[in-house]
Amino acid sequence: MNYPNQKRVETFSIEINGRSCRAISGETVVDVARREGIEIPTLCHDTRLEPAGACRVCLVEVEGQRRLQPGCAWKVYPDMKVTTESGRIEKHRTILYSMYMADHQLDESGLPVETGNGNQLRELCKTIDPLPLEPVNAPRAGRPDDVNPYIEFNPDLCILCARCTRYCDEVEAVNAITLSNRGGETTIATAGNRGLLDTTCELCGGCIATCPTGALIEKKAPENLVTLQTEVTRSTCNFCGVGCQLDLHTHNDRVVKITSPEPGETVNDGNLCVKGRFAYDFIHHEDRITTPLVRGTDGELHPASWEQALTAVANGLKSVKDKYGADSLGFISSSRCTGEENYLMQKLSRAVFGTNNVHQCAAT
Amino acid sequence: MQKPNANREKIIELLEHAGGVTEESVREVHQQTGIAEADIWGTGLFYTLLREPGKRIRLCDGLTCQMFGADSLANELTDAGKMVERVSCLGQCDLAPASLDENMELVTYAKHQTAISPPNEFAMNLAGEVDLTYSALAKVRAMDPEDVISALESSGLQGRGGAGFPAHFKWTSVRQQAATERYVICNADEAEPGTFKDRELMLRQTHKMLEGLAIAAYVIEAKEIYIYIRGEYTNEYRAIERALEESKDALKEYEFTIVKGHGAYICGEETALLESLEGKRGMPRLKPPYPTESGFRGKPSLIHNVETIACVPSIIHRGGDWFRALGKTEAGSKLYCISGHVVAPGVYELPLGVSLDELVEAAGGYVGNPIAFSPGGASSGFLPITERNLPLDYKHLADAGSMLGSAGVVVINDTVDMAKAAAWQLEFFERESCGQCAPCRIGTQYIRRQVDQFVQLGDPASLELTGDVGWEMEEGSICGLGMVAAKPLESARKHFPDAFKTRD
Repeated sequence: MNYPNQKRVETFSIEINGRSCRAISGETVVDVARREGIEIPTLCHDTRLEPAGACRVCLVEVEGQRRLQPGCAWKVYPDMKVTTESGRIEKHRTILYSMYMADHQLDESGLPVETGNGNQLRELCKTIDPLPLEPVNAPRAGRPDDVNPYIEFNPDLCILCARCTRYCDEVEAVNAITLSNRGGETTIATAGNRGLLDTTCELCGGCIATCPTGALIEKKAPENLVTLQTEVTRSTCNFCGVGCQLDLHTHNDRVVKITSPEPGETVNDGNLCVKGRFAYDFIHHEDRITTPLVRGTDGELHPASWEQALTAVANGLKSVKDKYGADSLGFISSSRCTGEENYLMQKLSRAVFGTNNVHQCAAT
Repeated sequence: MQKPNANREKIIELLEHAGGVTEESVREVHQQTGIAEADIWGTGLFYTLLREPGKRIRLCDGLTCQMFGADSLANELTDAGKMVERVSCLGQCDLAPASLDENMELVTYAKHQTAISPPNEFAMNLAGEVDLTYSALAKVRAMDPEDVISALESSGLQGRGGAGFPAHFKWTSVRQQAATERYVICNADEAEPGTFKDRELMLRQTHKMLEGLAIAAYVIEAKEIYIYIRGEYTNEYRAIERALEESKDALKEYEFTIVKGHGAYICGEETALLESLEGKRGMPRLKPPYPTESGFRGKPSLIHNVETIACVPSIIHRGGDWFRALGKTEAGSKLYCISGHVVAPGVYELPLGVSLDELVEAAGGYVGNPIAFSPGGASSGFLPITERNLPLDYKHLADAGSMLGSAGVVVINDTVDMAKAAAWQLEFFERESCGQCAPCRIGTQYIRRQVDQFVQLGDPASLELTGDVGWEMEEGSICGLGMVAAKPLESARKHFPDAFKTRD
């Protein structure tokens, strides 16, 4: 699906580390390797994005190629022979990861710091015996004055894989963030280095989700998130009718973070909007209404059962219709309703009460 | 009909007209084009000439200019109250030190003029008469395109931009593509430190280049020709404009567009050049696909360096065998740039494969006691003067662990500290790295810092791991810049070990 120009689909075999693997034209080395359970590390790769081949972590040997080639971008062809483990690749990984470490914030143990969203670079660096390179102290600027409530960027953890900017462009078509400057000064910026609230950003937080090193992180999540014991519960977002799947991360029965299931797993393909990802404060809010309330003759709201509440609504509507006629009623359904629920609402309006005064708030 | 990304292609030029990148200019360009503000901002800030709006003197800090006192000149200018920005090689090494004034006009401080070969029988013949007849183009138009390619093949013409790739392969490859929308692109983004041959060619024999481009367009059946010229080449830009005016009739079937670069060495890399033409940050693309298959606007594109394409009319006139026989060890004559410690720096056209001694003889001899030379720009590293008899061609230099590259030869005598010379070159690569891939982005920073530390403290321990980092830069970088960026240090350490011993 990522390769619309591929005209004919052919299957053939390629060899990875001497093992014969089935491959389909248009696939990359990483596509095939992952399906076969062969591990090729990646950092800048996201199945939703065009391959960038920028992090260089996935370099492999391809027979006939003098240079190492990026497995995430290298297209398969029949009888191709790939090697993913060799002395040369091990040396490449050792030095490359060491170089990343010279350009990254490290913890006391000398590894790239852990973050609330993990840090894939840290995991990779655990697999090598790093060279003690002196830090390069790249002049990579952040946006410390950005007051947006949700998304934080820490340039000291950024590896410039550009997943966030490519996501913002290729998936969201929002283009709020960009690679900026050049060389060691390259950073993730907004136009005029403005805060995200003053850009086209919709605060969907997809940049956080795709960031492999935790350089982009939820401002709301507790700092010690990684050490908290959290449970994950799959749920459906009820802010609209799309049916995005959510993973609620809870600690002591309180939601501390929301993420999407992995790309490719559910209808939302790893994406969420600002509401689904960040608007969970209502869940534990003290003002949240947790039971139906019916206004009594004393003018105050009183807790009631659903039975009592629905009866009160039905009686009220019927009495208005009896007194002023059906067209004195209007029905407006919420944008949070599904298509089926909206259908039922117009059925209620037209068939039960006999009026065409029906609308849905997202329609205007 | 407007091209789908026509607005994106305009943004860099619009930013230039607006005086560079500011919040206001970005908003303005956004309103004119509909391109996202962030994209305009990020693209603009990639290019040195757009990054800091405002007028200033741009003073070269390339190797030769540094050898001829650019640092002290910078101090003098600053003391005189001028605003001075140090910039990468301006391609005026023969007139070092060099600068651009506040209006981007060239100001050089050498006491001599550029020297060039006297009129000769070679392919470029820079000092020769200008041929305005466009008779090679007329001849080609009566020929089968395949015969033109055969002539190129028998000439043995290799790409003169640096890679030395046989030219005819590209022409054949473009002709084999199914897509009929095709482009000819001239790479006039000459920015390799030590190199200024295309500069003289554009100033003196512009029509050879234009005629070569038109011949290429005829053969690959393209209508549009783009010339991407570095933004610092103000005089050369005007020379091309003038030549296009002079040859309006002869070239009327082709649509020429001159596009200015804006201060990014990497845009001389052909896929970065394409990105820049498309209004993007000049970050090299992954290859394959190659530009002959998917180039400008994703269409088959034939990209040649100025000198390569300018060889074509002579090959058509006098035949491939004639051209091949001009060379000594490889085919053709070649423009060699020579600067540094020689008597008459300039551009000399000589048989491809002459030795350094032969080249320097043409340039009036050595100045002082030469110890080293850089045969093909910063990317080629350094060779010891003991290699003075090595043929300066693609193969021999590659075998010696160096390269002919753009044939920007710099001669260095014993007044220069080789560790410092390496540091100057590394500073260039650090500044010009596009930042896209980690090996180059981090590697150029790392090795430059370590060499600076060595020059300051004199402790060779600073350099202990630079070899490993250099290995990874060569193995792991996306493009040629990262692959060669450690070369100056690596070659200087190999050939001049004494310069890297403990210092007091």
